[in-house]
Amino acid sequence: MHIMEGFLPSPWWEIWFLVSLPFIVFGVYQLNRLVKERRETLPLLAVAGAFVFVLSSLKLPSFTGSCSHPTGTGLGAILFGPCIAGVLGLIVLVFQAVFLAHGGITTLGANVFSMGIAGPAVAYLIYKAGTRAGANTYATVFAAAALADLFTYVVTSIQLALAFPGTTGFLGAFMAFAAIFAVTQVPLAIIEGAIIALVFKYIVHLKPEILIRLNLLPESTIQRLKETAA
Amino acid sequence: MHEMLEDFARRNELRETAPWLKLFLGVASILICVSSPGPIAPLLVAASMSAAILLLAKIPARFYTHLLLIPVSFALMSIIVVLFITGGGRVLVDLPALPLAVTTEGANLAILILARVFGGMCSLYFIGLTTPMTEIFDILHRLRVPTVLVDLAMLTYRFIFILIDEAGQIYRSQVMRLGYGRFRESVNSLGMLAGTLFIRTWESGEALIMAMDARCYDGLLAVPEENQTVSGLSLTVALVYIGTMLWVSLTSGGMQIL
Repeated sequence: MHIMEGFLPSPWWEIWFLVSLPFIVFGVYQLNRLVKERRETLPLLAVAGAFVFVLSSLKLPSFTGSCSHPTGTGLGAILFGPCIAGVLGLIVLVFQAVFLAHGGITTLGANVFSMGIAGPAVAYLIYKAGTRAGANTYATVFAAAALADLFTYVVTSIQLALAFPGTTGFLGAFMAFAAIFAVTQVPLAIIEGAIIALVFKYIVHLKPEILIRLNLLPESTIQRLKETAA
Repeated sequence: MHEMLEDFARRNELRETAPWLKLFLGVASILICVSSPGPIAPLLVAASMSAAILLLAKIPARFYTHLLLIPVSFALMSIIVVLFITGGGRVLVDLPALPLAVTTEGANLAILILARVFGGMCSLYFIGLTTPMTEIFDILHRLRVPTVLVDLAMLTYRFIFILIDEAGQIYRSQVMRLGYGRFRESVNSLGMLAGTLFIRTWESGEALIMAMDARCYDGLLAVPEENQTVSGLSLTVALVYIGTMLWVSLTSGGMQIL
């Protein structure tokens, strides 16, 4: 859910830049440390960023026939953690604005916050909570990706309602924006959850080394997942 | 698959103009649009930017009109909300069954936002269609953006094109095998596409590490600096243009259409 160039008036676009800034600064700091520690992280993060970009430029099958795109950042957050996902989100959003005209430059701060920070944070928390509770891995991934998507769209609605409260006040405006976006975003979130869960399944079956290397799943869980499928 | 603006950025008539001038022109126009209190200045920016794109950069008109349609769906959805929730002034349209009405103030705000979005999008297209990303990286380097961020962005950029080709191939072969016939199938096929793409991506990332190591990668990517001299004429024209737009935006301030 990108907010378009020119849509957010002053001072809201500046405010969202300021809100996103500390997260990005911390993300870059963490990235710097990671890259110094293990040089191979940079190329791997780069391909992950490119993957998120390509995923978000694919059209999803949608009930409403409108043009909908997955955000893809949920997967990034599960794999690399929310801070790094924020930096990847920033880069992907700049490319989306300049290559595809999704989003914009003044609205970058707001979009980074909703898609690069808030959504991935939810995905990461749900994934961590799910694995700790021992829930089914695919169900956890589905919930993480779908709820991250939903939360992104809630945050976008909040951002729009704060900028345009109208006569009804913030709550009324929020309900109005949320209701109209729900038409496309709720089915979209469910579809994206399903697709990310399928991606996870392919990774588990074809290249589980990735998950072990990123310390996401212990080998025993992968063995069990493979056995239940077979 | 979307047609990329970047394809045109590499072969348009403004390719040789200094990138920082184009970037400055685009960003300054965007800022004027966003902060303009009336709809006149953003509409003028939209018109002049479109003229620059079509006449100076010689981007095909058909492709450009197609581009302008991209933001329409989001704009319409959000504008409708703004239109109905903003009250004040005369009532223009009253919906009989619902407690909703369009008033003059709502309509004015909606027109202003539409004008800003339109002007901002045209300026964004100006940057996207005339300035290749590699030259923007160069500018970011000079602006002292953290090296690790720019390096990551450059590597990401490089992989985007490889992956898009690969995704396109997989997608076409899935379509030929009727992979997107029904809704259930299309979700399944898209999941398969994304999963395969991710694994292939990862493998090419590992191959890249090896290739970079073999070429003595030490954590820094060297970027050749390009010569960026600007002729006095184009700089003057750009400054006069920005000045005029700023003046229009300030003087036409409180003007409203309805």
